[in-house]
Amino acid sequence: MNSDYLKQKRILLVDDEPELLDMVASILNEDGFQNIKTAKTIAEAVAVSKEYAPEFAILDVMLPDGSGFDLMKQLKSTFDYPVLFLTARGEDDDKFRGFSLGADDYMVKPFLPKELLFRINAILRRSYKDENPLVKLPGSEIDFDRAEVIKNGKHIPLTAKEHSILAALYRNAGRIVTIDALCEAAWGDNPFGYENSLMAHIRRIREKIETDPSSPVALITIKGLGYKLIVEGK
Amino acid sequence: MKSVLKLIRRFVGIMLLSSALLIILNFILLFIITVRQATNSQPWQTAKEVADNLFQNDNEYILPENLALELKKTDTWAIFIDNTTMNVVWHTDDLPETIPMSYSISDIARLTRGYIDGYPTFTGEAENGLVVLGYPKDSFWKHMWPSWDYHLIANLPKTFLTVLAINVTLIFMIYAAANSRLLKSVKPIVSGIQSLPAEEDVHIKEKGLLSELAANINKTSEILQSQRRQLRKKETARANWIAGVSHDIRTPLSMVMGYASQLESDDRLPKDDRKKASVIVSKSRQMKNLINDLNLASKLEYNMQPINPARQNLVAVVRQVVVDFINTDIDDKHPIEWETDEDLKVCFADIDEDLMKRAVSNLIQNCINHNEQGCHIFVRVMTGEDTCMIVVEDDGRGATDEQIEKLNRSPHYMICDENTSEQRHGLGLLIVKQIVTAHGGVTEIGHSSYGGFSVTLILPMQE
Repeated sequence: MNSDYLKQKRILLVDDEPELLDMVASILNEDGFQNIKTAKTIAEAVAVSKEYAPEFAILDVMLPDGSGFDLMKQLKSTFDYPVLFLTARGEDDDKFRGFSLGADDYMVKPFLPKELLFRINAILRRSYKDENPLVKLPGSEIDFDRAEVIKNGKHIPLTAKEHSILAALYRNAGRIVTIDALCEAAWGDNPFGYENSLMAHIRRIREKIETDPSSPVALITIKGLGYKLIVEGK
Repeated sequence: MKSVLKLIRRFVGIMLLSSALLIILNFILLFIITVRQATNSQPWQTAKEVADNLFQNDNEYILPENLALELKKTDTWAIFIDNTTMNVVWHTDDLPETIPMSYSISDIARLTRGYIDGYPTFTGEAENGLVVLGYPKDSFWKHMWPSWDYHLIANLPKTFLTVLAINVTLIFMIYAAANSRLLKSVKPIVSGIQSLPAEEDVHIKEKGLLSELAANINKTSEILQSQRRQLRKKETARANWIAGVSHDIRTPLSMVMGYASQLESDDRLPKDDRKKASVIVSKSRQMKNLINDLNLASKLEYNMQPINPARQNLVAVVRQVVVDFINTDIDDKHPIEWETDEDLKVCFADIDEDLMKRAVSNLIQNCINHNEQGCHIFVRVMTGEDTCMIVVEDDGRGATDEQIEKLNRSPHYMICDENTSEQRHGLGLLIVKQIVTAHGGVTEIGHSSYGGFSVTLILPMQE
């Protein structure tokens, strides 16, 4: 049930290659996404989005009637929703431009379907987290909205730091998040020398979410590298 | 050529002119000195004049006032010796006491050719006797007879030095006047030649003596600049061509990769077919890496890749690369071990984060590509003396000493300008070397203590 609501999101795919559109649509379909519309030009995309009101868009940068960056501005001007660029242009400048204009992610072709799906799910989880306050872990649930953990029917509050750390782990659920990325999530840029504090916070988080904190199953340590959050249904 | 001839003509002219001027100058000097020194015959003449003008008046001899004054002026005394008595019958008032008052024939003979008591003497014949003039001692050089003006000889060194100094000064003035223009026109040419190798656009004013030379330098600079532009254009075209090709391959390769990947995970397909699909996936991933590498290598080679270094914690950067590999890599045949010392939390270096991540992931990808049978990969960050080191090694099949020597020494085919059919290593390592070199670091390739291949990146540490 956990991520089913995300699969209902209306997705708009824009690329000038019809075959690529078919393929991306089939990848999304296979992963459970049901509401997908495609467009081959900016004009088409604008027309479709007026009628369809997408909640997420995957855009190519080079389109027959203009640039995907311009299209994004146009689309976001009516309703702000997440955008991922999927493009054959691997130039760093393009990447920076995409991000500076407000893109949520930028992927260069060719790509593995697995990687694309991971990124889409991460973006959707981050953008629409309010709609599903309960994240199911083995042994407990997290309510990010209310910053609390529900274990055995008991509500245990999370501190701000614990909330930030768990949110970073949840965005990358099922993947390792480095010690450095977690420190940055909790303490901001250039977080040096917080490794020991991070370990203390992880210990306290485990006491809150794990059934047996001494042998964790939801928040796993990857020695020397970082931590991984196991979310049910992933 | 024209300006060289002009120069030679000029130099010959200056030489002739200065020689002529020197000769004239020396003649003038000689004349002045000669005129200023008393002539040798003058005392004799004076003696003759005195003899002629001495007249007798009432048994007394009288010298006209003007002559007496002239003698007084030169401190000269005079006597008149009578022919018959051989005695002095007249003398000037200032006659020194040591001068004898009577003379023998031999005395007369001696004084005619020389001196009385050290006074140089000159004689003049009068009607009844002989007039003798006595010049001050040391007024004539003691020669056989007093013929050389004393000051002429006494001042000879001084005169010689003065003439020499005047000559040198004249030569210097001629040289300075003649060459100041030449030096003025040489100066911009020298600075122009000096800035040619610095790849600067040189433009010298084509004026003056060496205008032809200046024009040639300007032309050379123009040719160099246009060659540079051409080369740059060619390099840009080549890098753009590579970028264009890799762009055009990306979309079709996406389809290959995407569909093969779907087939690979399709439960309805027989196991054999899924295995085939998995080979397509892994090979298309290799092609993807190749395209990325080709593009980056050409950009790095032609300096078209902007490098934006910033102070970064290398431990964090390398850790992120390792985690990205573990997160995306599906196969279990190549486990990555994080070997960095737990106490090493930070190691700062000035790096372009994206490029350095690329270098490290290329090294890890290399271990995977060259060990299809599977291997352990060991990644470690260490500190040396003022350096940060990244070590990526494996326990795979490794390489022979000869191969390692070659990897360390020989250039890659991308940057090799000779025709070669020799099999060279992949682009992955070339990029690593390019990136590390661009960061002022060193790449060392060798054997791993784990039995396989080992690459160490050594970068300058930032405090």
